[in-house]
Amino acid sequence: MTLVSDLAAASAHVHDSAKLPSGDYDRQLRELVEYLKRLLSTKALDALANDESILDHFNPARDSIPYLFILRLQIQTAQETTVETVPTKIQPKGVLWTRSVDFLRNFDRIQVRYVGREWRELLEIVGHASQAVSQSDFVSMQKLIPVHCQYWTTTFAIFQLCLCIPLQSFLCFVQRTSPAGMVYMALKDWRKALHFLGVVVSTPVASSVSLVMVEAYKKWVLVGLLEHGRLYPPPTITTPHVMKIYQSMARPYVILAHAFERGDIRRLRAEVDSAKDIWENDNNTGLVSQVVNSFYRQAIIKLGKTFAALTVADLAKQVFPLPVHEEIAESVIVSLVLSGALDATLLQTQDQAVSSMLRFSTTSSFTRLSHEMHIQSQLQKERFIMEALVGNLRESNQTLGLSDECVDSVHKGQAWSGSEVNPILGEEVGLEMDEDLMGDMP
Amino acid sequence: MEQLAGLVSSNALPSQLFEALSQYEQEACLISAGSGSPETSGNDPTLLSAFYSSFFLVHLLTDQVPEARALTKRIPAALLHQDSSLQNCLTLLRAVWQTQVGQVYQILRQCPWPEALQPLVRRYESFYQNKTLISVSTSYEAIRLSTAAKYLGLVEQAAEQEDPNVIANFTKCGWTWDPATKLLHPKAIVVSPTDHQSSDGIREAMKMLGKSGS
Repeated sequence: MTLVSDLAAASAHVHDSAKLPSGDYDRQLRELVEYLKRLLSTKALDALANDESILDHFNPARDSIPYLFILRLQIQTAQETTVETVPTKIQPKGVLWTRSVDFLRNFDRIQVRYVGREWRELLEIVGHASQAVSQSDFVSMQKLIPVHCQYWTTTFAIFQLCLCIPLQSFLCFVQRTSPAGMVYMALKDWRKALHFLGVVVSTPVASSVSLVMVEAYKKWVLVGLLEHGRLYPPPTITTPHVMKIYQSMARPYVILAHAFERGDIRRLRAEVDSAKDIWENDNNTGLVSQVVNSFYRQAIIKLGKTFAALTVADLAKQVFPLPVHEEIAESVIVSLVLSGALDATLLQTQDQAVSSMLRFSTTSSFTRLSHEMHIQSQLQKERFIMEALVGNLRESNQTLGLSDECVDSVHKGQAWSGSEVNPILGEEVGLEMDEDLMGDMP
Repeated sequence: MEQLAGLVSSNALPSQLFEALSQYEQEACLISAGSGSPETSGNDPTLLSAFYSSFFLVHLLTDQVPEARALTKRIPAALLHQDSSLQNCLTLLRAVWQTQVGQVYQILRQCPWPEALQPLVRRYESFYQNKTLISVSTSYEAIRLSTAAKYLGLVEQAAEQEDPNVIANFTKCGWTWDPATKLLHPKAIVVSPTDHQSSDGIREAMKMLGKSGS
């Protein structure tokens, strides 16, 4: 128990130092972490490894560092004893699960910055435990992580779980890539997804290309088709040797893109069917099926470049490979127009037997008008935002420039010597006040 | 459960409902799973089903269809397959996703939704009607009354008989009815951003900047 009291006292001392200048607090925290690591390496902490009630002596919010160290040690011991990755104690409703959840809900974010690796390990263990049992627990676990969490990979873990991307591909992405690409793909925001995938695809490499980059390129090809309707070239900074590797490793995707570009639906379908296993293994089946749907839209748009207007029956003959019932063709085209995916308008006639007419937007004053109205509403929206921004800026300027406190602090600042030590940066910084330029005027 | 029912039946704005329910997801999952306390360990699917069904409908009410789809992936698979209310949600999602307007109304009106969800279902029906009316107004230059009525989920027989009440639904939006051709000529409806919701983010960011600067 002496060890526990010592640890509690050391942690309390650090906690009390939180009011000290940041340099001192930083030093105290580093010393505490060193102390705990020393205890771990000399096996002095092993006495606490099996007694879960020890954690009652520590408050996860106040004593985050010792709490995390002891909790990690107890989890590790449980794993070693049972020879299981997720022992019962760590599973939801287990003793260590409750402790972990309690910690993740309440930890001190400043303290945890000094033990980032341990914190992340705990998060992963809890994540695995939750996923092993039930997805819903996992979701609840994610929600426990405070929103101000500053860890890239953790934020990504949360995104991944929210969108339920297969764990295997997720783990790859965690290593290097931006999570945003995956999220935007799920939200069908292809333009933004392309941007983030482009970052991964064009990552500078010396010799070899990572698997993550190849995976990103495969998705790049598919998302490029969805956004631009063609094999979209990767960012220009991608080196030629990397491009060659991409081309050879993502060959089925490139072939699919070529079939798409040629406007040959039969070939596109054949390519999709023949490489079914590849799409499945790469977790890209969903994207591929969306590419096929997008093909019809692109085919109709291409027709719009030749024709000003077409009846739905004629359009169906041109676009669909096999004869389809006019009602089905019309419903497909109507849903494209209604969802805004196709810039065109429909004209019906009195006679139900007569096919509707599709008029492409470039020729229609009606759609031009509605586009203009849409743009007008967008501009109005932007104006609201700008007004709010300008209003707030004016307010801030007034507060900063005219308030007595501000004038006082400026006076004080001028009185200070230029060699003040910044309590946060811990180094000498000048005040960098602008000289009075008007003083030089005659 | 009572809290959830109260929230769902309230007249709060969809964005407020969404905010409130987003924060409640963790609690719902923990309560439903027992969250480690033996007294509450009985896995209760009722709460989770009610929560996810409501949250799903609120996603649709805030026009977040891809996010609603992502939500269905988070729902425990066993619950999703067994629960009739969540099954209705899935069917509804499919119809909305595929722009199958007729089916959407059919699912909203004919599927057995739990009593607690009825306020949200009615609200979504009205939201969907408005949304479709706006889309149709910009997609058609001329439309038959029966087709227009189908988009709004109105009785098609009445439309075929040129019921003045059905016509009034459209003319009040500025559309014109041509009795000679028996066609409606829509007037594009553009929603102007009357609420200042979009600038809330900026206000919050400025507030934070102000705080950190003081």
